Amino acid sequence: MNDINISKNEILALFPKVAETVADAVGCETEKVKLESSLIEDLGAESIDFVDIVFRLQRLFKVKIPHGKIVEQARGSLSEAEFEKAGVVSEAGVTRLRTFLSEVPPERFKLPLKVADIPRLFTVETFCKLVIRQQRATAATATPQAA
Amino acid sequence: MNGHFRAFSFVDQITGLRPGISIEGRYLIPPEVNTFPSSLVAEAVGQLAAWGAMAAVDFLRRPVAGIAGMIELLAPALPGQVLELRADLESVDIEAVAYSGSAHMNGASVVRLRDCVGPMVPVADFDDPQALRDRFSLLSAAGAMPGGFEGLPNLGLQPNGGEKGRCARTCLSVPIAVPFFADHFPRRPVFPGTLLMHANIETAENLASQVPLPNGAEWRTERLSDLKLRTFIAPGETVEIEAKWIEQSEHGLSVTVESRIARRLVSSAEIHFVPEVDS
Repeated sequence: MNDINISKNEILALFPKVAETVADAVGCETEKVKLESSLIEDLGAESIDFVDIVFRLQRLFKVKIPHGKIVEQARGSLSEAEFEKAGVVSEAGVTRLRTFLSEVPPERFKLPLKVADIPRLFTVETFCKLVIRQQRATAATATPQAA
Repeated sequence: MNGHFRAFSFVDQITGLRPGISIEGRYLIPPEVNTFPSSLVAEAVGQLAAWGAMAAVDFLRRPVAGIAGMIELLAPALPGQVLELRADLESVDIEAVAYSGSAHMNGASVVRLRDCVGPMVPVADFDDPQALRDRFSLLSAAGAMPGGFEGLPNLGLQPNGGEKGRCARTCLSVPIAVPFFADHFPRRPVFPGTLLMHANIETAENLASQVPLPNGAEWRTERLSDLKLRTFIAPGETVEIEAKWIEQSEHGLSVTVESRIARRLVSSAEIHFVPEVDS
């Protein structure tokens, strides 16, 4: 999954609707939701809010979001064994995560990083990118490229 | 008698199933019970959806109450009547089930649910997976003997202050020894989210009753929206519920309701009322 191709303009175009969705789900004012806001640390989101956000985005953008599989998506080509050991993300896994979650400032990757704590890194931009990836995947499925 | 599949089970028979897509069923409201509140009708629809979701993942996971985008309370359900239930599964996997659903009585809509999401949890933490498979087989064939539910026990909802017409507070002391915990759930008793919703509605209705209406009209509870349950509530816990006035017009009254345990938010919802003149 290559994020280099997701431009800032694409993210900014999506942000207002995503911000509104996040605000509705966590029960805060839309103005409080910034692109760089951490869902858990800045907006106080709990696990049920993540479920809520994913389903709201799914309905709003009419894409199938692989909820619960964000971490799996982040893992990319790494096997589970390469990505984590006993619930702690490996060095290769952290490198992979830093790329996948390029919107997260480096200082927020506190090591050792537990797999269960990965959602603590998610920002509003993470969800914007998630929607863009799924929109592309949906478009690719709907219009197969000519050989 | 063991209360499993009796004390808090509201599906007698599964009458139609398109695996992973939709499920239909019915429930006879026991004639002996005094009332059968709308929250229990919503529970019946949710339980039917849960059967559909569990069957889709071979009873390894089960949904628990989480989010309801909208619950419309369209008509009262009456003891002795049969509820025709339906749930349409928008999606289901090991993480969550998303569904909409409805309950009808004599062809008329009683309750309608939209945009509901139930997080899936490991079945074995709450119940015996094989017992659930066997029950599903029974419900899908001849159906179960109706009549296990003996009525709602006193939930001990006490007024807890407020500000007339603006805010009403109640205190819910979750009982410890009540029959429904044997069924909800056998391995881990959890206070049903729909009973918390019932307490939320009562608290909001208490507030609405303090908001005057002209010409002898009264507020009728029309719908709940953005209902979210954040955590499990265990037997013996004390829940503080607060309903607050948000806005009012000639068309209706909106109230927010929040429930907290030791200050921690455990649920939130909006409840909407419409004026109605008793004919």
